[in-house]
Amino acid sequence: MRLRTLITGVLASALALTGCAMGGAPAPKAAPTLEPSTGPVTGEITVWTWDVAATALKRLATDYEKAHQGTTIKVVDVGYDNAYDKISVGLQAGTGLPDLLTLETDRLPGFLENFPNGFVDLTSRVEPEKANLDPSKLAAATGKDGKILAMPWDSGTMALYLRSDYLSDAGIDPATLTTWDAFAQAAEQVKAKLGKTAFDTDLSTGAMFLQLLQQRGTGIFDANGKVVLDNDKAVAVLTFLQNLQQKGLINNTKGWDARVSAAKAGKSAFSPNAVWWTGTLTSEAKELKGKWRVQPLPTFAEGEAKTSNNGGSNLAVPAQAKNPALAADFAAFALLNSDNQNSMMAKEGLFPSYLPALASPVYSEPDPYFGGQPAMRVFADLTSTIPAISYTGDYAKASEIVANATVEAILNGKDAKATLQDAAATIAKQTNREIG
Amino acid sequence: MEKQTSGLAQALGYLFLLVGAVASILPFAWMLISATHTTADVFASPPPILPGDQLWANLVRLQETTNFAQVCLNSAIIAVLYTVFSAAVSAMCGYALAKYRFRGRGLVLTFILITMMIPMQVLLVPLFQIMASLGWIDTFQAVILPFLANAFGIFLMRQAFESFPDTLIEAARIDGSGDIGIFFRVVLPVARPQLAALVIYTFMSQWNAFIWPLLMLNTEANYTIPVALNTMVGLSRVDYSGLMLGSLLTTLPMLLIFVIFQKQFVAGLLGGAVKE
Repeated sequence: MRLRTLITGVLASALALTGCAMGGAPAPKAAPTLEPSTGPVTGEITVWTWDVAATALKRLATDYEKAHQGTTIKVVDVGYDNAYDKISVGLQAGTGLPDLLTLETDRLPGFLENFPNGFVDLTSRVEPEKANLDPSKLAAATGKDGKILAMPWDSGTMALYLRSDYLSDAGIDPATLTTWDAFAQAAEQVKAKLGKTAFDTDLSTGAMFLQLLQQRGTGIFDANGKVVLDNDKAVAVLTFLQNLQQKGLINNTKGWDARVSAAKAGKSAFSPNAVWWTGTLTSEAKELKGKWRVQPLPTFAEGEAKTSNNGGSNLAVPAQAKNPALAADFAAFALLNSDNQNSMMAKEGLFPSYLPALASPVYSEPDPYFGGQPAMRVFADLTSTIPAISYTGDYAKASEIVANATVEAILNGKDAKATLQDAAATIAKQTNREIG
Repeated sequence: MEKQTSGLAQALGYLFLLVGAVASILPFAWMLISATHTTADVFASPPPILPGDQLWANLVRLQETTNFAQVCLNSAIIAVLYTVFSAAVSAMCGYALAKYRFRGRGLVLTFILITMMIPMQVLLVPLFQIMASLGWIDTFQAVILPFLANAFGIFLMRQAFESFPDTLIEAARIDGSGDIGIFFRVVLPVARPQLAALVIYTFMSQWNAFIWPLLMLNTEANYTIPVALNTMVGLSRVDYSGLMLGSLLTTLPMLLIFVIFQKQFVAGLLGGAVKE
C-alpha cells in the first residue's frame, strides 16, 4: 500500500517536472466515444483482471467466442493490488494497456478524474440499462460531465452477519436488532453473558466509519465536490463507534489474516460485512456451518437504508484500446446479462450489480451454511437500495485522512465533532476544496 | 581468551546468538509449516506448529493456478541471461575505469555513481514508453536489457581491479599479450572472489525483481516467479498455503547458491575494505 502511494506520488511529480520535456508528445485528445454498434463485432481483445474475476472472464470468453464467429478474447490474470501499478504507468505513458481493464469501485473515481481522457465513453451502451444497475455503482462509474465511463460488475452489498448460537445463549431475539442503539445494547448483553465482542474490525483502516456513513446516504464529499464530513450524521456514527470501543465491544484485528482467524475462533457475535464475506466464511471457516445468519443492517434513523457497500469492481475500456467496440460488447455480454452474471455468482461468488439478475429464484434457495436460511436473498433485496455517494478523484487520499482521524477518536476518545471538523479542514487543505 | 570472564559472558553470548538464530529461522519454519497445510488450517488458533501432509495437494494447485514450472523456467532464463551479460558489462567497465588512463575518467565514474541516486520510480514511465515504442512489451529482452549496466556492479568491480598490480599487466604486455588476453587470462582469474560476489548479487536481484517484470510482462506464460506469486493474492481470499509453498521453492535455489558460494561472497564484499 505504502509502496504504491510512493510510486504514484513520485510518478505524479516526475510527470509534472518533465511536463515541458515531454512537450513533443501529442496533446491529449478528448475521451473517445463508443459508436452505437452497426454490425457484428470481430477481431481480438485482451482483458486485464485478477483472482476469481479472471476465472470468471476466462470461462465467459470461451462462451462469447463460440457465440460470435471471428472473435478472440484473451483474458490475463495480472494479479490484484499491483495491477494498479501497471494500469497507472500505462495510462501515464499513453500506451501499453489492453482493451478492457478491471477497476475496483473505490479506485475507479480516482482514475476517472486523474485521467479524464483516458477512458472510452460507454454511455450509449449503458444508458438503456441505467435503471437495472446498483445505483451506488452507477454513480461511481459516472464521470464529472455525466458520461458513463465504466460498466458496474459486482456489488459489495452489506448486511449484518450474526452468530445465532451466541445470540440464543445470550437470550437475544435477532428480530429486535433494527437500530444501532438496539445493536449496542445487545452487544453489551452478549459481552456480559458470553464474554464475546460485538465485531472484529481493523481500526487502523477506519473501523467501517465510511461504510456506515454511506449507509446514511452521505460521504466525505457532496455532489459539488465540497467536503461535508462535519455534520450530525457523521458525528452520530463516530460517537456510536466510540461508545462500542469504550465498552470493550470492538475486537481490533490487524489486517486480513487476523480477521479471518478471529472469525474462525468465534471471538465476536456479529459482523457487519459485505456479501463477499460469505465466500471467506464458507471456504476458510467450514467448521462454523449452521452457526451464522444474515439480516439487514440496523439503522441510525427511521427511513435510512438497511445496507451499504464495501468493495466491488467495474470493467472499463481505456482510450488506447485497439478494439473498443469488441471490448464494450464483451463487457456487456458478461455484465449486463442476467444469465452470465448469475453464472459468475454460482461459480465464482461474484455478486451481481445487475439488478434483473438478482430476481432469479437461485437467490432464494436455502443455504446450509446459514442453517438453511436463504442468505443471498437478503443481499439481493438490499442491493437496489445501496445509497449512492459522491466519490471524486480525491477519495483515496481523503479516506486515508478520515481513517487516521477516526481511529484516533475511537482509541483515545477525542471529541467526535472536533475530530471530524479537523479532518474536514485537513482534507479541504490537501485537496484544494471548499468545506460545504 | 581469559578463563575468568568467559563463563557468564560466553553463556550470555550464546543466549544472544540463540535468540537471533530462532528469530531468523522462524519465518522459514512458518513458511514450511504453512506450505504443508490447507489455507484454512493456517488460520486455525492455535496455529499449527508441525509440518502437515498437504504438500503434494498444494504443489498440484500451485502448478494449476500459476503454471509454476513454466514460470520457474522463465525466471531462470531471465536471471541467468541477465547475470551473465550484466557481470560481463560490470567487469569490463570496472576494469576500464580502474586501469586505463583517459580523459574524463573521473567524470565517467561520477556519472555512473550518480545514476544510483535516481529512484527507480522516476524511470518507470519513460522506460515504459521506450519499450513500448520498440515493440518489446511482454518480451524477455525488455526485462533484461534496460538494467544490464548496473552502477553498483561496475563500482564493485572497479574497486576490485584498483588494487591489481600494474606491473603484472605490464609484464603480460611485454610477453606479447593483447588487451583482451590480459583481461581474461591475467586480471579476471585474480578477481574471482569479487566476481563471485557480483554474480550472486546480480542473480539475486534479478531473481527477486518485481516491479519492472510486472510492468513488462503481460501474459501468464511469460511471468517470472514473483509476478506469478503476486497473482495468488486475491481480494477476499488469499491462497496462503500455495503462496508459501511458492515462496519456499523460490528461496531454495538462493539458499543453495549462498551456501555454496558463502566464502566468496564474504571475501568479495570485504575486498577493497582494507588496502595493503
